[in-house]
Amino acid sequence: MTVDLKNAITCQNVWQVFGATPDQALKDALGQHATADDAAAALRESGHVPAVQDANFEVKEGELFVIMGLSGSGKSTLIRCISHLLQATHGKILIDDEDIVEASDKRLIEMRRHKLGMVFQHFGLFPHMTVADNVAYPLRVQGVRKSERLAKAREVIDLVGLEGREDRFPRELSGGQRQRVGIARSLVADCSVWFLDEPFSALDPLIRRQLQDEFLQIQEKLKTTIVFITHDINEALKLADRIAIMRDGKIVQIGTPSDIVLNPVDDYVREFSKDVAKGQHAKLRSMMQTAGDTGAGLVHGADDPGLTQDMTIDEALARCMSLYEPVPVHGADGKVVGVVNPADLASALQVDRS
Amino acid sequence: MTGALTTGTKAAALAVIVGALCLLFEGLMPWIISFPAAWTLPLTNWVGTGAGEALALIKPTARGFSDLMSYPMDWAKLGLNAAPWPLILGVVLALGWRTGGVPMLVLAAVGMAFVLASGYWEQGMNTLALVAVSVPLALIMGAGIGILANEVPRVREPVQVVLDVMQTVPTFAYLTPLLVLFGFGPVVGLVASAIYAAPPMARNVLLGLQRIEPEIKEAAIMAGGTRRQQLFQIELPAAMTQIMVGVNQSLMAALSMVIIAAVIGGFNDIGWEVLLTMRKGWFGQSLMAGMVIVVFAILIDRMSGTLAQERKPQFDSRIGWGLVALGAIVAVVTYGQLGETSDYAMLGPVTKQVDAGLTAFTTANADWLNALKNNALFYVLLPIRIGLDQAVLPFTWGFMWTSQMSLWLFAGAGVVSAGLIVSGRVMGGLIVLIIAGILETGVSQLPWPFALVAAGGLAWSAGGRKLALLIVALLASILLAGLWERALLSFYLSGVSVFACAVIGGGIGLISAVSPMTWKVVRPVCDMLQTIPLFVFLIPILMVFQIGEFSAFLAIIAYAIVPMIRYTRQGLVETPEEMIEGAIASGATKWQMLFHVRAPYAAPTILLGLNQTILYAFAMLVIAALIGTTGLGQSIYLALNKADVGLGLSAGAAMAILAFGADRIVQGFAEDRRKALGL
Repeated sequence: MTVDLKNAITCQNVWQVFGATPDQALKDALGQHATADDAAAALRESGHVPAVQDANFEVKEGELFVIMGLSGSGKSTLIRCISHLLQATHGKILIDDEDIVEASDKRLIEMRRHKLGMVFQHFGLFPHMTVADNVAYPLRVQGVRKSERLAKAREVIDLVGLEGREDRFPRELSGGQRQRVGIARSLVADCSVWFLDEPFSALDPLIRRQLQDEFLQIQEKLKTTIVFITHDINEALKLADRIAIMRDGKIVQIGTPSDIVLNPVDDYVREFSKDVAKGQHAKLRSMMQTAGDTGAGLVHGADDPGLTQDMTIDEALARCMSLYEPVPVHGADGKVVGVVNPADLASALQVDRS
Repeated sequence: MTGALTTGTKAAALAVIVGALCLLFEGLMPWIISFPAAWTLPLTNWVGTGAGEALALIKPTARGFSDLMSYPMDWAKLGLNAAPWPLILGVVLALGWRTGGVPMLVLAAVGMAFVLASGYWEQGMNTLALVAVSVPLALIMGAGIGILANEVPRVREPVQVVLDVMQTVPTFAYLTPLLVLFGFGPVVGLVASAIYAAPPMARNVLLGLQRIEPEIKEAAIMAGGTRRQQLFQIELPAAMTQIMVGVNQSLMAALSMVIIAAVIGGFNDIGWEVLLTMRKGWFGQSLMAGMVIVVFAILIDRMSGTLAQERKPQFDSRIGWGLVALGAIVAVVTYGQLGETSDYAMLGPVTKQVDAGLTAFTTANADWLNALKNNALFYVLLPIRIGLDQAVLPFTWGFMWTSQMSLWLFAGAGVVSAGLIVSGRVMGGLIVLIIAGILETGVSQLPWPFALVAAGGLAWSAGGRKLALLIVALLASILLAGLWERALLSFYLSGVSVFACAVIGGGIGLISAVSPMTWKVVRPVCDMLQTIPLFVFLIPILMVFQIGEFSAFLAIIAYAIVPMIRYTRQGLVETPEEMIEGAIASGATKWQMLFHVRAPYAAPTILLGLNQTILYAFAMLVIAALIGTTGLGQSIYLALNKADVGLGLSAGAAMAILAFGADRIVQGFAEDRRKALGL
């Protein structure tokens, strides 16, 4: 956390407006209204749809950034702005400090060939190509020789566990297998920024969990920057380093999974986390008091149940059920980094359970 | 029902009022019935002059193109004719094997054997040569237009409109300007069939490209493909199934047009043979030549149809090459000993027998055939055409229609109508009045103010103000051009035919929906009727009923009834399972389910079938001019014979306006129903 990582993606004041005259309408609305909310209201008034409203965020290199929201909240539109499948109506989108909104067509093709990869909800596989040809296609457009690109394709096909199915056609595969092809295809060109648009939403729950785990393993290996879209809060909490929650085109909260669960900014976000077993997701780190908080050093009782800051609340509570005094929390190196009151742990779990 | 009147009711009320006024004043003001010649504009002449000048401008280029095209055509003709028939047979059999395995191979063998035995091998090859040159031309043009419309969103709308117009303008109407441009001869047929066959290809290419899942397109973009790579490596291959549907339709359209084009550019091809023998009254031979066309049509349709199948089975290519090689070997071994293909004509006696049998049949059954024809003519067609007041004569009906009877008719209609209106069915009451009025006056003598108001009202309730204005303006242009009476005649004939198709076809579709056994019989007949080129329909009808309006009526029905049957059945059969289960759970009987659940759900589909039937009827109307119809069809045909571009184009446009209007109105109603059902 302390190491200052480079920003892989930066979005500044990104708007995507649909309607009859989006450019002019947005310009007028921004000119006449001081806040983004007012401008968005004015746009709706004039029959336009602000599908993305004034999005501002950064994604660090190697970070897994999840954008979550209900259908129609603009999350798919936002990821298409960032990958420039849609031209953003307004704003700056930097990928490795290069503005993708202003990039020439030629430069865009260049970036997509070498830097960007994308996985789609309904897979987007080419029906007339075999698995191997599908996966090798990003190399084919670059003019890589056939034997070479098929060899590379085989590597990623192995990585996603589809070896032996290279010559099948997409229609001969199950949903889970199809998405593995989609993932393999997006990885074949060694992208550094990876977009996943609800990649597991079309799959049934068991396959979904299996693919999520494999996805985390792949991410562990590759360490790419990831923008991941989902409407499933559990999926978001399981995968994300940070989550952005969208509603009606607006990003209402950005935070770590425990931020979202423990400190929802409004009822909409709270509604999402309602079904979530909080204790399983929130880490002790997000709850403990540090020396800075108390201003008076770390005061704790005599008992030390051996809590660490990366424990979940459930785990922590299990260890100090019978304790009433504040207890110390240890960092990775074993030093005491904070204190927590067992009563607070219990009450944190009580919130929203009613 | 006592609340606000619907648009439809208001329009019907207006039509009733205008109609009544017209009836009242028709004695005083004869211009209500026949639009005075003094009020017409010489539109036809203007079109003629304008088009003539435009055509003169591009004529040199066209003639150049014509010369250019005659080379590939001559080569194709020479090639197909010079090649010994065993070789061609081998190639066709190989194609049959590759596209459909043993069944297709057998079909191809039987078909080609028939062509050889019919004695029309040479003419058949000439026709195929024309198709072979025109289809690639049409495919390239069509694919180009389709891709262009896909790539440049701005031209998409205009391209769609042009394609729509090209589909509604009758085939003969194109021929006149082409005739002026390219002169008499086979090249006109070639160009006409290329133009006629391009739209289906363009439509299907565009449709296929637009129907690709957006994510597939996005995946191609994200892979870093250039636009060209996306289009040729991903989008076109992904759309291939739809594009193959286009190829199939394009082939069939070209074949159909090549035959029709024989009317202007006959040159020893099969279309010319049909036309010639038909004109001479040699029906046996005419039928034989017609059967050759049907064989070609079936083979081309079934073979190219398999290309459009989603998952086509693979057949060993070695066997295909083997068949070609076998054909070549036989051709070499028998070189010089085969003689003329006409030596193999073995069906001459059959032709004679058909002729003799036909004569015997018609003389033996003359009584009831004539009775059928005359009854239909005197008691149905004629009254609808010129109205009861003129059609009811002592000579046919046994008594004379008097104006008193008209009063009785109107009084009766008035009573029924009043009853309906009182019981709340205002629309029904008004429609009864309109029908009574039309029956008394006759469709071909409808007062034009009434026709304009009625058409406008219908368009208004189907598609809103814009459509109403458009249709009234278009109809007014027919009026001003002085083509009104002919247009009414065409409207009348297509109208009764469509009505007959709707009743008979709807009935057959209903029975087919209820009884799968019936459908097993009806389906192949429908397939057959849809494969046969327009022209061929005329032959058997002509054989039995001779030239005349009744024959044209039958020909139109035979051709246009198919969509009505298909769509009615499809609509009724495809009701969602849950709705059926809901009805069963409510305790509905089979028939209750049919009328309460299936029929309302099927209404939009059935309306779509009606729409297709209307378009088919107009297409056939023009062809039927060959065997005696009056009206616009006849004008178009006459214009073709006189190379009168003005008349040909104007009458063609008038016909297209009628078809377009009917098409849009029915589609409007279908759209309404779909929306009401939430589809």
